[in-house]
Amino acid sequence: MTRLWLDGLQRVTRAPLLCLGVYALTCFTTLPMAFVLHDTIATHLGTSVVANSVSEGFDTGWWEEFRFATEGGIVETFGPEVIGFAAPLSNLSRFVDADFPRGAVASAIVFYLAAWAFLLGGILDRLARQRQISSAGFFAACGVYFWRFTRLALLIVSAYWILFAIVHPLLFQDLYSALTHNSTVERDAAIVQLCLYFIFGVLVVAVSVVFDYAKIRAVVEDRRSMLGAVFASVRFVRQRLISTAHLYLLNAFAFSVVVFLYSLVAPNANTSGITLWLGFAVGQIYIAARLFIKLTLYASQTSHFQSELAHATYVARPQPQWPLSPIAEAIAPAPNKS
Amino acid sequence: MFQVMQRLFQWFRNSVTTTAFVVLWVAAPLAQAAHSPRNANYSIDITLDHQTRTLTGREVVTWRNTSLQSTSELHFHLYYNAWRNTLSTWMKERILGRGLGLHNRSETDWGWIDVTNITLINTSNVPETNLTNNATFIAPDDANPDDQTVLRVEIPYSVSPDEIITLEIEWTARVPRTFARTGTIGNYYFIAQWYPKLGVLTDDGWICHQFHTATNFFADYGVYDVRLTVPSEWILGATGQEQRVTDNRDGTTTHHYYAEDVHDFAWTTSPDFLVFEDRFEHTDLPDVNIRLLLQPEHRDQAERHFEATRQTFKYYGEWFGAYPYDYVTVIDPAWQSGSGGMEYPTLFTSGTRWLSPTTTNGPEQVTVHEAGHQFFYGVIGNNEVEHAWLDEGLNTFATARVVDQYFPHSWERRFFRGFLPWTFTDIAWSRALDGSRLARYRTTARMDIQATPTFQYWPGSMFSTAYYKTTLWLHTLERFLGWDTLRQGMSDYYTLWKFSHPKPQDFFDRINKAAGEDLSWFFDQVHGDSAVFDYGISQVTNQNAAGRGFFNGIFQDDESPTIFDTQVVVRRYGDGIFPVDVAVEFADGHHELRTWDGHAQWTTFQFEHSARAIRAIVDPERVLMLDINYTNNSWTSSPLATTAATKWALAWFVWLQDLLLTSAFVI
Repeated sequence: MTRLWLDGLQRVTRAPLLCLGVYALTCFTTLPMAFVLHDTIATHLGTSVVANSVSEGFDTGWWEEFRFATEGGIVETFGPEVIGFAAPLSNLSRFVDADFPRGAVASAIVFYLAAWAFLLGGILDRLARQRQISSAGFFAACGVYFWRFTRLALLIVSAYWILFAIVHPLLFQDLYSALTHNSTVERDAAIVQLCLYFIFGVLVVAVSVVFDYAKIRAVVEDRRSMLGAVFASVRFVRQRLISTAHLYLLNAFAFSVVVFLYSLVAPNANTSGITLWLGFAVGQIYIAARLFIKLTLYASQTSHFQSELAHATYVARPQPQWPLSPIAEAIAPAPNKS
Repeated sequence: MFQVMQRLFQWFRNSVTTTAFVVLWVAAPLAQAAHSPRNANYSIDITLDHQTRTLTGREVVTWRNTSLQSTSELHFHLYYNAWRNTLSTWMKERILGRGLGLHNRSETDWGWIDVTNITLINTSNVPETNLTNNATFIAPDDANPDDQTVLRVEIPYSVSPDEIITLEIEWTARVPRTFARTGTIGNYYFIAQWYPKLGVLTDDGWICHQFHTATNFFADYGVYDVRLTVPSEWILGATGQEQRVTDNRDGTTTHHYYAEDVHDFAWTTSPDFLVFEDRFEHTDLPDVNIRLLLQPEHRDQAERHFEATRQTFKYYGEWFGAYPYDYVTVIDPAWQSGSGGMEYPTLFTSGTRWLSPTTTNGPEQVTVHEAGHQFFYGVIGNNEVEHAWLDEGLNTFATARVVDQYFPHSWERRFFRGFLPWTFTDIAWSRALDGSRLARYRTTARMDIQATPTFQYWPGSMFSTAYYKTTLWLHTLERFLGWDTLRQGMSDYYTLWKFSHPKPQDFFDRINKAAGEDLSWFFDQVHGDSAVFDYGISQVTNQNAAGRGFFNGIFQDDESPTIFDTQVVVRRYGDGIFPVDVAVEFADGHHELRTWDGHAQWTTFQFEHSARAIRAIVDPERVLMLDINYTNNSWTSSPLATTAATKWALAWFVWLQDLLLTSAFVI
């Protein structure tokens, strides 16, 4: 499995534009709202001397005034949680506690997921073929798989809806309450909570893995039925449970290493001048590393599938070509049909 | 025959207890000088049945009429009836303030108290009389016919001023799963407001309010002689001091507690408590034995509880006056018990978490606050139902001061449903902002006038109006008058009004006296009104003092003026009025400081100086802690707003990227 994971790592390393592309997507999704927040903060501070302390550290007095003065919107998400390692911690906490943001930030998440859904066809195609492709070829692949992945997305959304809207309350409200309703020891409740996180985590990971292989099978085997891809994926995972889990754990370990390293170097609130930009750079390296790990997961899973049911670089469908525009078609010589 | 014998024995025991208590109560002041009037005295026998969560009690109440009027009725609080059903005033107010959260309690979680017998104990003039049928529920505050938290008992004669009356009352109560910090969970019981308790008869009549969701209590001082029977091997803590422990044949143990000069009695029992003891010692203050009943999972936090209690007794003692009892009991409540952070005479509950880093103030802040209530609530028995700010506000103010002096710490956030603490080591807790909760006050600044009786506050604004607004205006006074002056005023108030029932004006009088001036203009605004304070720099202009334009027919336009005419416009955006300083700094380092009485809607300060003004601040020392918008208090010619905005937009940028990536797990 380590060989497959390393192979995945290698596939991602050999696709630097892919890494750059998803990083750019992450930045471009974030940037407009960061500008909005920037302007909101700057407007609120205006010509106030308070800006001095705000520029040097987290001025709680100002922050509370700011939140009060600019109720709602993205400002609601701005607090001490954005500082350094508190950011991943709070986001992970929100995710596992099904405490999803609302408003503009929720829209950004939906957009980001939709963009990934669109790009995923091209990404998996690129990682599976292990060959450089032009941007036209990449987006052609995106286009080919987009509608399939849109259909698959319906299944994915349904599955996660069941997990977060039905299973999550069952576990963390009903079962948790039943187990701890009369508990007078917080430590015991924390252990219960931890166990429930584990159960929920296993379910989420299982669903995630099944859909990962479904996407991979859709691309590698050129499957058109997404339902068929999901069933095929379930079969694949079930028959190779150990290796699939092993590979996933390797990726999870890599993710943990990245998060751990970030916890050591994450910037604190008191940065300014050069340390501010250094801190920001550290943050971007962390984000880039997480994206790299995400791509590595796809790549290693693709490698795993190909090693089991196909062979390296095998993709059933010929590399998709971007259709010529009508004008180019008129100028270009007619294809030889013989 | 056996039953007859048993009844005879019970009668004998009750008679002996009653007689002994009356004798004890009459003799007590002779034995030891009474601190308080001791006009509401209780001898109580109570038995807890853990299986049925039932309390069976009998009390002998000896009451002396300290008012100037006679009365032919007694008013009793029956607080447990607030949780009999959803129609009580407490429940209705709770729903108003916090929604239907408690509506869905299961059948076993409700509580109530039933008075089964009331007997007037015979005196020389009146024979023993059963008054059970003379009792009716009343609702003096809202005429709610379904509220059963106040019981009026008519007596067949009129009790004159200074006359004593003795009643025997029997009752049973079902202990609920905790509502207002009293109740049970598992085998942990915290029992407060559990017995029929007399209201307070004043010259204006009875003060015996119904139980309201946002208010605490009010009662007369007295002597409590209480025998509590609980399962053997269970640890028990209570108001007062334990006199003796008697093991019974039925697997129960009776703990005899006795307390003098207190106005309430609370107790707790559980087999799980760990018991620790320590002592507060001080060169100028009396020693105090501290008994700590701790949850086993907090074993490593015992010293933190002791230290917080010791520091409270030290600072409060030095600032305001000594703690007059030589004992106190600290209860670490069980998790989910809902009984944490509450004060009772000589006993209080703290509150901590299993994971509570020492870099945060986990148990310390709440312990300091509740220990502080031993002074402002325990010793000074103001009417909490009508003037909660007198104890909660003063105590929150002093709490913040102690925490700031002795327990510096960092901000904390909790993740994963609160189980995991995360400390922001680079964000320090601030007394001025966090201790006073300016942010909380800001949101409800106009919701209620502080002088309104507390039980009539909007249920959701009680904390900000009674606790935080008081803290803010006391902090303002501290900065305005100086700590020594304010401390003197608070100390005088403590000394003068200990073991009695002061009213707001009594506090204002002491502060005015210490300040040597009449501060009514201030108290009228912060206590008698919901005025909001907000001063700001509206604009600053620098121009050539020599002027520009046509002078004597000649156009003058000096591009390098030597003297500047600087105008600073200060505006009062709120309706609250307070004198403020205005500081102006010039480019050559020169400073000017002016004072404005703050009355007008706006004013202009004019300066002629050889350099431009580069900075202007209204209230530069931040004396006016009530100013709800401090950002607009200053102006600078070289603002760093963009730099600050960039810094935090970048941090937020990374946070949002991380959030997107975390969410992208599902794709």
